[in-house]
Amino acid sequence: MSDNAALVALLTALADDELILGHRHSEWTGHAPHIEEDVAFSSIAQDEIGHAGAYYSLIAKLTDQATDQIALGREPSDYRNAVLCEQPNGNWAFTLARHWLYDHADDIRLAALESSSHEELSAIATKLRREERYHLLHADSWVQRISSGPVEGRARLIDAMTEAFTDAMGLFEPIELEEAAVKEGWLPVPSAEMKARFVERTTTALDDLGLPTEVRAIDDRAAEFVASSSGDLIENAAAGEGPSPLPIAHGLGGRKGRHSPDFEILWTEMTSTYQENPGATW
Amino acid sequence: MVAPTRSLEDALWTALTGVPDPEIPAVSVVDMGMIEAISTDGTHAHVTVLPTFSGCPAIDVIVADVKAALLKVKGIDEATVETTFSPPWTTARITAEGRRKLADFGLAPPANGDQVLITEIGLPKMSRCPFCGSTNTRNENPFGPTPCRALYYCDDCRNPFEQFKPV
Repeated sequence: MSDNAALVALLTALADDELILGHRHSEWTGHAPHIEEDVAFSSIAQDEIGHAGAYYSLIAKLTDQATDQIALGREPSDYRNAVLCEQPNGNWAFTLARHWLYDHADDIRLAALESSSHEELSAIATKLRREERYHLLHADSWVQRISSGPVEGRARLIDAMTEAFTDAMGLFEPIELEEAAVKEGWLPVPSAEMKARFVERTTTALDDLGLPTEVRAIDDRAAEFVASSSGDLIENAAAGEGPSPLPIAHGLGGRKGRHSPDFEILWTEMTSTYQENPGATW
Repeated sequence: MVAPTRSLEDALWTALTGVPDPEIPAVSVVDMGMIEAISTDGTHAHVTVLPTFSGCPAIDVIVADVKAALLKVKGIDEATVETTFSPPWTTARITAEGRRKLADFGLAPPANGDQVLITEIGLPKMSRCPFCGSTNTRNENPFGPTPCRALYYCDDCRNPFEQFKPV
């Protein structure tokens, strides 16, 4: 293992989150419920995939690989994105709830990384945060509009936020070799501390929006996906082995390369062109 | 009038004023403030380019175009072009000339040329219409056809227009 393995692990988690959520956002191109939102999600997707590219380029330099090979040439279990990012778009409410949670989490993460001891990572974080500000404005304005809107939209947002809030904790699941990354100052704030900041910020915001406190109840039964003896992915308790399988409780596992069945479908589509002719130049 | 003897580096700066932004051909990479540094080492030119929006796919084309322009300068037979996010490119780097060219192109320049701090970035509710000069305009979408553009509508001349987003 090279000296910068912990740095590569950190960058991989950051990049994979952006790439996979960017891919999901891009699925709204041509399908969003409103023409301006079709433009908005397409643009946000382009930003996120560009941001992933900035991290992948740094990994490429550190590991002497091609950027496309890292982004598209890995096996599904090599991806380290949080499970939240790979979940299907579902309805508009889930899309917005995830967008809002993710972009607030990303803001907290980028704010911390601006003071990374790794100069290039710090410069990337500073640059990306200026652009991400627009994503936050977009997410905030939609969540605000729907929270104070008519009954059905508000009810759907409440359901979506309740589902996504627990899963958002997966964004702060410790990364591999985190202890070393923190020790080197590459990751200046440990995941647990960023998670506390995230919960504090979102709790205040959701309460200010007048949403019921249930939306921010963290489901402690949050589980992760593990391979069963048959090789199929099953949901399994992360802590405290229960006697029976738990209900919907994904969220964790992504940072260890354990993904939901939806990831494989996304991965197959996302990498199909690359896999036809790996290493092709355009 | 006798032209003053220009250094090789001045000649390189001049050459780059002829390299357009591929997505906004009216402005050059120099107008956009994308050229952070130019230096020479004998016949070898070194240039540092700052990408504008990090998701902008034009950067690879820009790097290739900058390199080609450098190699056309007499006295240069090798060119190295690097990109960096440090310092970050911001819209405050667009020159006065660049802002004028953007407006002539029909793209409203960023709200102001001052240093925009992250906490102060907010999409202006209105922008000056590049067609009629009115400020009776409204933001229709903070996102547009490229990562750097937002969509506005002018309530006076009834034209939709785009603004270069401040970052």
